[in-house]
Amino acid sequence: MKQVKDSIKKSEESLSYTVEVTDKEGRVLQRISAPSRCYVEQWNKLLNVQAKQTNLTIKDTSGNNQDIPPSSTCISADAGIGNINTGFRVGKGTTAVDITNYALGAPCGEGTGEDEFNHQQMQWSEPSVAGSDCSFKLWRVMSNQSGATITGIKELGCHVHMTGLFALAFRDVLPSAVYVPHGGAITVTYTIKVTV
Amino acid sequence: MKHELWYSVVVRDRQGKVVSRERRRARSMLKLWNQYIYVMMVFTPGGGSLVVTDIDGNSWGLGPGTGGKPFTMKSGAGVTNYGIVVGTGNTAVQIDDYALKTLIAEGAGAGQMNYLPCTVADATVSDPFCSFVVSRSIANNSGGSITVRETGIYTILERGVSPFLTGYGCIVREVLGTPQEVPNGGAMTVDYTVRVTV
Repeated sequence: MKQVKDSIKKSEESLSYTVEVTDKEGRVLQRISAPSRCYVEQWNKLLNVQAKQTNLTIKDTSGNNQDIPPSSTCISADAGIGNINTGFRVGKGTTAVDITNYALGAPCGEGTGEDEFNHQQMQWSEPSVAGSDCSFKLWRVMSNQSGATITGIKELGCHVHMTGLFALAFRDVLPSAVYVPHGGAITVTYTIKVTV
Repeated sequence: MKHELWYSVVVRDRQGKVVSRERRRARSMLKLWNQYIYVMMVFTPGGGSLVVTDIDGNSWGLGPGTGGKPFTMKSGAGVTNYGIVVGTGNTAVQIDDYALKTLIAEGAGAGQMNYLPCTVADATVSDPFCSFVVSRSIANNSGGSITVRETGIYTILERGVSPFLTGYGCIVREVLGTPQEVPNGGAMTVDYTVRVTV
């Protein structure tokens, strides 16, 4: 053998998040930014289905195995007001993230009842290049009209489409719990970046 | 936590003996990789598009299309519009590269190689990883040796609005750490591993 090389150089698609909590006057009460850990297996499996153009068994957000074909809506996170099937969610689960997670541990529902948020429309910025990076942001505002402070928010995640069904694409557990006062809101922003 | 890309290159002579090997963590998911992720995450079919650059350097209104083809890497023998491709260029990778610098064409003429089908294995989970491998062998039947200096992945581009035509784009380009000489009658196998880790 003429030559054998085994070396490492860095290239990755990285994910990071920012969580911002505001009160009813819009004042920032808390802000947490951190690198994300965690695309979970459904994310890569959905890209795999597209790459290979054949079906694969993937768990939906109820934990059921589904036979998923290639699709034109394979990882769409688009969600309108009040839609919690897709887009960003927050919850009270505290268990560490595992590659096999298929749902948030204890997601907060949509509404104005106890521990419920009004989920606003998903929003995003177009990809932009800065030096050797290309990145874009996705964000969602969730407002608390429940009549009381919602405490113990500890997890974030993103649900995406998978051919008429829904899958968890990534999930994070916050380093410390946040609370959202009545009339306030929590905004979750994820940044997806590639670097050469 | 990240979405990582690794590659390995194995060169064999005409007897199938391994004559060279290179394995590295890849650099480089290009701008189009992220643009495609963006398009798939935010647009519905027919609901919008993002202007990107195809492998010919032309503008393309990228969208999720209607054919279910976004991000396709699997391709047939002889196809160089999508799947793993190789070339002879060695200019450093830039985030906005839109093609290999000098693609090696399909064929058995001078400087050409025969591309076998590009295959994609099912994703597998091995805690804390979930990964899948994209693989292609490219044979040299040109009559002389060929030095490969770059590899990449091309994919199918769909459009965001009607007419839902398809084009082709480069989502990964890599300049090899060591140029790999493929002897006449030999072949190169390129594997890319796409992996997420918790």
